[in-house]
Amino acid sequence: MDIGYLDIVVAPWRSLRILCARCVNPTLINKKNRLFLVFALVPFLLIAQSVKPESPIQFKIKNAGITVDGTISDWEVEVDFDPKKLSQSIIRGKANPESIQTGIKLRDKHLQGREYFHIQKFPFISLESKSFQPRGKNAFVGIFELQIRDVKMEVEIPFTLSQTGRQQKFKGEFIIDRLDFGLGEKSLVLSDEVRIFVEF
Amino acid sequence: MWLYGCMLLPLLAFGLSKQSAVYFSVLDIPRIWTDEAMKDWELPNSNPAYSAQPVTEEFYYNLPERVIYKTYPVYHPDQEPEGYWEWLHGLEAEIVFDESKLITEEDWIKAGELLFDYPIDTLGAIINTQHVRNPDFYSSTGMPLTPEGIMPFAQWVVAGKGKVYLGNLSCAMCHTRVMEDGSLLKGAQGNWPGDKAFAFALESDGVSERGVQGITNILFGSAFVEGNPHGKLLASGRESILEAYKAVPEGAFGRQGTSILYPPQAPNLIGVKDRKYFDHGGLGQHRSIVDMMRYIAMNQALDFLNFYGEYNSIGLTKERLNIGDPIIFPGTYDRHSEAQLYAIAKYVYSLTPPENPYKPSTVSERGKIIFAEQGCVTCHTPPLFTNNKLTPADGFEVPDEHFDKYDIFDISVGTDPGYTLNTRRGTGYYKVPSLLGLWYRGPFLHDASLAKLEDLFDPARLRDDYVPTGFKPHDVKTKAVKGHEFGMELNEGDRKALVAYLLTL
Repeated sequence: MDIGYLDIVVAPWRSLRILCARCVNPTLINKKNRLFLVFALVPFLLIAQSVKPESPIQFKIKNAGITVDGTISDWEVEVDFDPKKLSQSIIRGKANPESIQTGIKLRDKHLQGREYFHIQKFPFISLESKSFQPRGKNAFVGIFELQIRDVKMEVEIPFTLSQTGRQQKFKGEFIIDRLDFGLGEKSLVLSDEVRIFVEF
Repeated sequence: MWLYGCMLLPLLAFGLSKQSAVYFSVLDIPRIWTDEAMKDWELPNSNPAYSAQPVTEEFYYNLPERVIYKTYPVYHPDQEPEGYWEWLHGLEAEIVFDESKLITEEDWIKAGELLFDYPIDTLGAIINTQHVRNPDFYSSTGMPLTPEGIMPFAQWVVAGKGKVYLGNLSCAMCHTRVMEDGSLLKGAQGNWPGDKAFAFALESDGVSERGVQGITNILFGSAFVEGNPHGKLLASGRESILEAYKAVPEGAFGRQGTSILYPPQAPNLIGVKDRKYFDHGGLGQHRSIVDMMRYIAMNQALDFLNFYGEYNSIGLTKERLNIGDPIIFPGTYDRHSEAQLYAIAKYVYSLTPPENPYKPSTVSERGKIIFAEQGCVTCHTPPLFTNNKLTPADGFEVPDEHFDKYDIFDISVGTDPGYTLNTRRGTGYYKVPSLLGLWYRGPFLHDASLAKLEDLFDPARLRDDYVPTGFKPHDVKTKAVKGHEFGMELNEGDRKALVAYLLTL
C-alpha cells in the first residue's frame, strides 16, 4: 500500500490554486502569466523536497539474545533543511508499518496486528522536526515528534548531512522504548529498546 | 442405549454414594461451582449461541459426594499373579480418602495422587471386565503395559466382598504414559489407546449400528456446527464409525465434547500449574487453583449435562435435568467433594518431569540459536516455552471484547481448525502449547497428526499426498498436515540442531 504521502508535498500547489481561484479566474491567466507561475513555483518545490528514499528504515531489536533486523520500506520524507537556517528548517517523515519485514512473514503479520502497530487503526508512523542544533561539522541533532499508534513523543535524533551541490544526504540513528509507544508488552525475551536507522 | 443398559447393575451394587453435608475440610477451600463463577469461567463456543450452559450451583451441590474405595491394578490375563482374581473377590471394601486426616501439604498431594488414579465410573463407560480379561483386547489395541503386565489406564475397584468392578475415567486413564522402558510417567501425555479400546468394546459386544451411532452422538454430537460433520459420520454407518475410532492413535483421545474426526492430543499435565488455559482450545481459564478444581469437576463428565443452546448430548431436556431425579449416566450422578478436588489439584500442581536424558551439547546449543533466529521464542517464550496465549484458528474472527478478556495472540498459524470450530469444546482458538518435556511426549500438534518432532519440519507434510505419521482420518489415504510452517526452509543440519535443542527442554 502506498501511503499517499504526496498529499503533504502537493499541499503548496493546493494553497496556490485556492489563492488563484480567489483572486483571478484561471481562464484569464495568459500564457506569459502561466509561465511566470511555473517559474515562481520551482524554487518553492525545490525547498520542500519530498523523496521516497531508496533505503528502507532499518531497525534492530534483541530477541532471546539474537539481534533481529527489520525494515520498513514504504516511507517518504519531506525535507527543507538549510544548515545555515536551522530554525527555519523542516524534516517530516511518514512511514507505512504495513511494509514491515523481519524475515518471518507470520511475525510481520503479528507486528502489523493490534498488539503492535495495529495498522488498521493507525496506518502511519509520523515524524516531524521541532528544532535542530548543530553538533560539529555536518553533524546535527534534531528534536522530533514521533507518533506511533496514538502515542506522540519527542525524540532526539543525532544525524549527519553530506551535501553535494544541491543534493543532500542525511543519516541518523536513534533508540526508542517500544513500550512507550504501546508496541507489544513487557517480555522476558524481547528487548524494550529498538535501535532505528534512517538514511535518505 | 448400550451404555444405559450396562449401568444399572453396578449402581444397584454400589447404591448412590453417601450424601455428605460437609464439603469443607479444615482448610478454607472455596466453593468452586457457583452460578456467578460458572458464567464466564469458560470461553464461549466459536459459535457463541451454542456456548456451554453448565448445571446450576443448586444442582451441582445436590449431587452426592464420591466415596473413594481402594483400587487394585489390572493385569494382562496372561501375566496376572496366580490367584489374584479370586483374592480380589475376597477383599472387603476399604474407603481410602478421609480429609480429616490430611494435615500437611504432602498429605494433600499424596491423597491427590490416589484420587488422580481413582476411576469415577464403574458402569463400563469405555471398557468393562470382560474386555480386560480377554487377551485379544491387548493385542488388538496395542495396549502399552508395564514389565509386570499391568495395564495402568484402568483399575479394579473393590466395593465390597465379591463386588469387583472395572473402573474407568480416572485422570490417570488419559494422563499416564508407559515409557519405552516400561516405567510409568504420571501426568504426561498419556498413551492410552482409548478409542481403539472403545472400538474393541463395541465390536466384541456386538453393539448394533444404532447403538454405535447413539453412543458416538453422545460423545461428540454437535448438530449445531455448520455442516454437521459428526452427523455425517453417524450417517456413514457402523463400520465407518468404528474405523474412525480405530484411527485415533495413542497419545490422542476423543474425549466427550471433542471428536474422533479431530481428536485432541492428550494434554501433558506436567507443568500445568503455569498455564493460563485448559484444553487445546483454551476452553477453561486457569487463574487460580479454584479454576483447576473447576476444570477437574467439569471435565470428568459433568459436561455431559451441559446444554448448548437447547441441545444436550445425552438427550436431556432442561425440565428433565432439573426435576430432581438422578441422571443415570457415567460420572454425572455424583461429584468430587471440594476437598477431593483440592487434593487432585495439589497433586497435579506438584508434578515434575523426570530427568531429561537429552543433555545440552554443541549441536543443541546451535539449535538454541536457531530457535531464537527463527522467532520461535515469540510464541514459545522461555522459561515456560509458551507465551500462554490463544491463537485464533483459520475461519474464526476474534470478537473485539475478547482482546480485553483473554490473552490473545492475534495470528493464526494455520493448523487444522476442525477441533476448535466443529466441536462442543471448540472456542475458535488454539492454546499456544508449551514445548517443555517434548522428549517424553508425542504425537505432536493439537490433533496428534505428527508422530515425531522431525516430521514438523518436513516440507513434504504440506503436500496433499502426505501420509500423516500420527493421526490420519479414517476415510482418507493421504492428507496434508498444514500450518505452523516454521523452520521448513532450514537445511538438514540446522533442522537436526533445532530438534536436538527441543529435546533438551
